[in-house]
Amino acid sequence: MNKKLEHRFVKLLETNQNIVHKICRLYTNDKDAHDDLFQEITIQLWRAFPKFRGDSKFSTWMYRVSLNTAITLYRKSKRQIDTQDFESISFKIKSEEYDDTTEQQLKLMYDAVKKLNDIDKALVFLYLEDKSYREISGTLGISEVNARVKMNRAKDKLRKILNP
Amino acid sequence: MDKLDKLKENWQSEEHELPKVSFDKIYKILLKKSSSIVKWIFVISIIELLFWISLYFILPEDNINMMKELGLERVMYYCEIFHFFIFGIFIILFYKNYKSIQVTDSTNVLMQNILNTRKTVRYFVYYNVGMTIAFSIAIDTYLYNNSEKLYEVMGLAKQGIPKEGFANIFIISQIIVGFIIIALLILFYWLVYGILLKKLKGNYRELKKINS
Repeated sequence: MNKKLEHRFVKLLETNQNIVHKICRLYTNDKDAHDDLFQEITIQLWRAFPKFRGDSKFSTWMYRVSLNTAITLYRKSKRQIDTQDFESISFKIKSEEYDDTTEQQLKLMYDAVKKLNDIDKALVFLYLEDKSYREISGTLGISEVNARVKMNRAKDKLRKILNP
Repeated sequence: MDKLDKLKENWQSEEHELPKVSFDKIYKILLKKSSSIVKWIFVISIIELLFWISLYFILPEDNINMMKELGLERVMYYCEIFHFFIFGIFIILFYKNYKSIQVTDSTNVLMQNILNTRKTVRYFVYYNVGMTIAFSIAIDTYLYNNSEKLYEVMGLAKQGIPKEGFANIFIISQIIVGFIIIALLILFYWLVYGILLKKLKGNYRELKKINS
């Protein structure tokens, strides 16, 4: 029984691991930290898995648990990302699709997102994942109206970071 | 916000560049937490052994000569060999625990391994504290019974320390020092292994919850 549960969990996580990797990329700065966070999220997901009843999609549940873990750890370790570190982040953009300016702009935007606080970062992450406000509110446990307001504020913050 | 939407487009197209973790590796991650705690137990026990061995190298020559003159050299030597032999056995057991947790692929076996590790650590601590107490009592009794010889060997007469009452003062100070050393030893074990065992216990409880 337990073996089956383990197998099912690992299979589901293997299929949906991109979600975790994207969260790791946003909340960490280097490969080691990325791997550490991936492991921590995996363990938290496994711990919470028995409570997953299938009311929501596995991926939706994954967003919730993974973001909560990333936010908690981020607060614990206060791994604030320094501006100078951004240069070292390999934000790969296909050169044939973008010219230098676009690449530079995307990099600046990505830097700005990483500068946001943990909650705003989660909001923007879900926005980048093309989630509706309803899904965002469900994942973060806030109302839909609140999600919209917070998202607008996060966008304002991004604007201020980009044009100080 | 155009720029954010551009980032969104790029974000979506980047999926294939993300790392891929295999089924087996994810499976291993589930068991890794306990494995790393047991690894620390193994590493700390080796550091502890090295620490005790290094003490023998920094022991002043005078102390070694004193032991020789008191006729304790041979006994001490055999005691040390016995102690390090037992210590070595515990290190092997810790290593075996660590290895078996590393290769485990089922929570039931992992739970059993956690219980085994906890048991080994408990015995290790009991042995070390028990051995220190027994050794202190034995040495102090011997020295108390041979206090005259000790008085001579320590050259206390030259320093003007009276012979009368020396044995009593010596034994009282030895008992106080002994208590302090044992208290420090227990504190060390409680801090180092206690914390690790507590974490292991937490992992065990979680595994039990998942299993039930």
